Amino acid sequence: MSGFVHLHVHSRFSFMDGAADLDALIGRAVELGMPALALTDHQGLYGAIRFYQKARAAGLRPILGAEVVVETAAVLGEEGDLPPRERLRLPASVGFGRAAGRGYHLTLLVKDITGYRNLCGLLSRAHIRSADEPSVVSLADLARHSEGIIGLSGCPCGEVGAAVLSGLAWRASEALQRLARCFAPGDFYVELMNLLTPDSPRYVSGLVALAERLALPVVATNDVHYVERRDFRLHDVLSAAGAGTGLPGPYSRENAELWLKPAGEMRKLFADLPQACDATLEIASRCDLDLGLGGFHFPSVTVPKGETPYSVLAKRAWQGLERRYRPLTPAAVARLQHELAVIQELGFAEYFLVVEDIVDFAKSRGIRCSGRGSAGDSIVTYLLGITDADPIAYDLLFERFLNPERRQMPDIDVDFDSRRRDEVIEYIYQHFGNDHVAMVATVQTMTARGAVRTVARAFGLSPHEVNTLSRHLPWVSAHRLREVLDTYPECVNHPLKDRERYGLLTELAQELSGCPMHLGTHLGGFIITREPIDTWMPLQWAAKGVVVSQYDKDDIEALGLVKMDILGLRMHSAISDAVELARARVGAGAVPEPFDLTPDDPRVYERIASADTVGMFQLESSGQRNLAMRLLQRDFSDIIAAISLFRPGPLEAEMITPFIRRRHGIEAVSVPHPSMAAALHDSYGVILYQEQVLRVAQAVAGFTLAEADSLRRAMTKDRSREEMEAIHGRFVDRAVALGVSRDAAEETFRQLQGFAAYGFCKAHAACFAVVSYASAWLKCYYPAEFTAAVLNNEPMGFYTPRLVVNDARRHGIGILPPHVNTSKGAYTVEDEGRSIRVGLRDVHEMTQRLIAAIEREQAVRPFRDLADFLRRTRAEAPAAESLIRVGALDGLGSTDAGRPPTRDEMLALLPEMKAVIAREGVVGDDVLVLAPARAKVPEDPAHVSGWTIARRLSSELELIGLSLTCHPLELARTDLERRGVTWAKDLAHCEDRTRVRVAGVRERAQTPRTRSGKRTCFLTLEDPTGLLDVVVFEDVLARAGETIVTHRAYLIEGVLQNNHERGIAIIADRVEPYIVRTASGTPVRLRRGVPSGPMGPAIGGLGAPEEESWTAAYSE
Amino acid sequence: MGRNRAIKEFDPARQKGQPLDLFTGRESRLPVVLELLKSPWIVRGSQVAKSSTASAGKRREEAVEVVWDGRKASPVEFVWHDRRYRVDALVQTWTVERSWWDLRRHQSRRCFRVLARGGLYDLAYDRLADVWLLTGIVD
Repeated sequence: MSGFVHLHVHSRFSFMDGAADLDALIGRAVELGMPALALTDHQGLYGAIRFYQKARAAGLRPILGAEVVVETAAVLGEEGDLPPRERLRLPASVGFGRAAGRGYHLTLLVKDITGYRNLCGLLSRAHIRSADEPSVVSLADLARHSEGIIGLSGCPCGEVGAAVLSGLAWRASEALQRLARCFAPGDFYVELMNLLTPDSPRYVSGLVALAERLALPVVATNDVHYVERRDFRLHDVLSAAGAGTGLPGPYSRENAELWLKPAGEMRKLFADLPQACDATLEIASRCDLDLGLGGFHFPSVTVPKGETPYSVLAKRAWQGLERRYRPLTPAAVARLQHELAVIQELGFAEYFLVVEDIVDFAKSRGIRCSGRGSAGDSIVTYLLGITDADPIAYDLLFERFLNPERRQMPDIDVDFDSRRRDEVIEYIYQHFGNDHVAMVATVQTMTARGAVRTVARAFGLSPHEVNTLSRHLPWVSAHRLREVLDTYPECVNHPLKDRERYGLLTELAQELSGCPMHLGTHLGGFIITREPIDTWMPLQWAAKGVVVSQYDKDDIEALGLVKMDILGLRMHSAISDAVELARARVGAGAVPEPFDLTPDDPRVYERIASADTVGMFQLESSGQRNLAMRLLQRDFSDIIAAISLFRPGPLEAEMITPFIRRRHGIEAVSVPHPSMAAALHDSYGVILYQEQVLRVAQAVAGFTLAEADSLRRAMTKDRSREEMEAIHGRFVDRAVALGVSRDAAEETFRQLQGFAAYGFCKAHAACFAVVSYASAWLKCYYPAEFTAAVLNNEPMGFYTPRLVVNDARRHGIGILPPHVNTSKGAYTVEDEGRSIRVGLRDVHEMTQRLIAAIEREQAVRPFRDLADFLRRTRAEAPAAESLIRVGALDGLGSTDAGRPPTRDEMLALLPEMKAVIAREGVVGDDVLVLAPARAKVPEDPAHVSGWTIARRLSSELELIGLSLTCHPLELARTDLERRGVTWAKDLAHCEDRTRVRVAGVRERAQTPRTRSGKRTCFLTLEDPTGLLDVVVFEDVLARAGETIVTHRAYLIEGVLQNNHERGIAIIADRVEPYIVRTASGTPVRLRRGVPSGPMGPAIGGLGAPEEESWTAAYSE
Repeated sequence: MGRNRAIKEFDPARQKGQPLDLFTGRESRLPVVLELLKSPWIVRGSQVAKSSTASAGKRREEAVEVVWDGRKASPVEFVWHDRRYRVDALVQTWTVERSWWDLRRHQSRRCFRVLARGGLYDLAYDRLADVWLLTGIVD
């Protein structure tokens, strides 16, 4: 017999203990003519489904398995209880997480579907039996659930191997016998590895002797960890980094033999044991797993007796039709009939009912939610209340969502009020059962930064050096590391460019590109199954403390299981909060539900068209504001268009300019064939939406909508030239048969081909547009409430809270500073909706406990002075210090000068008061009656705080991240005006193409992908009068990149672009850092940071100081 | 069947028909020595004393001249201190790949433990320097 099958193979999914890429493994095994290949990653099946699919596609038989940690077999109790001579060295930790050092390795292979389900169960029970216990498979569990599983005795880190190496023959024998008893006769093998170490012959012959004595079969493996020999370096780096040690890593491997060796080489290693190699083929022939991919498995839905899931769905949809469409229209009735027929044919009724059930629960509890994505194309989802955009009014096509030609699991994503999302999740667990629900995993892979850190740590570099090397690397894939270092302006002086010193490090980091680092948890993906979920997939605890599947969303889809995205949308929370605040002020009946509004209020559109959109959902980014100035939205379909236009695809295809030109009549609307005109009516002849591709194919070539969707999908995927030619021929022939001229048909196809890949799903945009309109309406009519709600739900949206606050101030809303007697934890609205009181929650060092204590004591009586505050709230010193520094205790108490103490005086008193409280306790009112504070001469006697404006502003920015006193550049107004700076509000009045000089604080810097492949930086700056959009092209970016990255405020010179076609922006040709100083020359710090005061520096603050901190400020 | 078959099946009561006729001459002694060397439960002095200061094994790094047999993939003789050693048997091979991240300490070798002139010698082919070394005389 010849040939060999590798049965012990680790891929990169052994997380830091495997360097083999799945594609490379499979490709190499096929190249070597192997009939099968196993995948036995540590403690899980993380890569199993994709391996299964890829291997089958490559004509290789996949054998799924895992290398698990199993409890000690030969002796009872813990290893440490044994006499030292009988103890074995426990395996190193890498790749085993919580099981590290708690048991021995054992290789398990799946024979059939029963074995697969048993292995999933074994792994799940080992992982999730308890969050505190190590993930070790017990022998009892293994014995009970070994049906369909073949066991191999494991590597030298297995109990048998370790005992042989330690010369403990009795222990090896005992362990072998006990392990063998866990499996069916003939299903347990003694695993032999000849890893070409000095110990290998002794190891192999020892195991063979035992196997002969116990009459157990032997099998040869090579503990594969990388595909080619040359990849051993990556494996060493990964295992060292994974174990948190420097090279050579936890195993101190002496050689590089763990590669996928050809059959001939393996047989040579076991020349006198051919039966061990033959056994690999025999095992491979016994492992014939069929996962039955391609089917669908829905969770169980309870329906009344005599009903079916379809009948229940149909009834609810018809009820919804009556509710949503008044009067009923023939179009709506026909559409519903059509959709229900398709849903019945595809057998997806249960899925719709599951989603509806969850949405119904949320609505019954007042949890705001809305569907998104292509689900908006369906009238059924609209009628069930899952989505809110009318598919008939906005011409949304069902076939884009569910194509009867392609039986694919539908995907309905729903956004829920993020603050109350946990209630929905709890309901899902309760309703479907804990054993039937798990979260979807994501596989976190190496970025350039992660890869550099991994290699640097493995090389044993100091933490400081590791940080220095990874800092300022952009978030790009590791394989682009060298290119980024060579071309990105911010990397001009990057230390990694020292090839002599870091050449090897950079090379290895590049090779780690895309390597899985660890398992993460999907933001909101839940798997719901009818059968217990651990019969489908292994489960484990995620870092977040939830049970997560070992499979990601693609694996779940491949298995045909239902995955629901329960996403949290902060804008929903903000809208709910704003409505609540507004109703509290003007009465519950006076404020309508924003989602139910008819989107036709001209005031709302006027606000959007003036680019005054800070805070509005999906409409606030600098690109959207620029687009608004050019598009001048007039109705709801314009909002849909705006959301769709400002996307990477349409941007890359440069759809915006023709769209705008045609809309404003600058360019005539033209289509290759008149039949397209109706389909492209709402986008002025530009193919903007994916739904339009379907409509055009239907109109020009007579495709059914289902055929048209298949055509669209075919066009958007990477197709071979032949396949594309076939699609092309079919389209043109059918168009010509319908009487369309060949030229027109060719031109239509060309346009479809060009735009199909870039078009945006209109249903998704329409679903978002409902939320956008609601937020815009609230901003128009209840601006203070809306702003407070947005601030209470930060982080959200495009801008920082600082800019949101500044924007509110520019709109005439008063910003009241935080104060312990008036502020709550959250931002509140005062003065009949004219002012916002800053909440205490954002103040540095504040805790939930302290906020609750302050709110509780406010209800009793106001705080009298600092001592009273400390006594009644027991505020921690760092929090009290922060409150003093931001002015939350200004004006309280009195000094011997007969005025309230300044902040400096309070800060000086604070340690003494805390000491007294610590000594005397807080009982009684008089223990803190200290002598009045001793007065000092204040810096600024005119202000109650005694602090200068620059110091107040710095404190605000440092401790709340807001500029409450004024905009930072306001302090430097004189200097800036002397330098000839034009303010943002005046730019609209300047001529196009004039040279301007502007100044602003950086709000955002983006470098999106551009069609030409060049890097362009879009800077959003803010000055005291508004927002500035600055474009920095590649040549200027090369000079100014470092300035942009390391500073926060800039002085920019450039040419103003101010026209209808392109909007207002400054094309920069010079970017200089600007250090904000007051008239007296005091610098102002612009970032949140770790404060240090009389109580010493705070530890673990919200943000570390950046480069432009005091050092940079003073260095000028 | 394992490598110890010859020893395990030796029956001193039988005069003929033994798998190996033990210790009757050089030819018959060699397989027995090899079997013993490969035996898992016999630990050699050189393996007990791993440190370089230990005296049980003699470790050295000397360049030697080696005659290589490509067909057997094994050294067939080597010259050490002007004396020619014919390799009677290849006892064991292993590989070494150490400290690849440090150019000064990097080692990449293929090692051969051979029986020659009644002694056990460790020969190593250094892939980086392309030279043969005698790395040990053991036991």
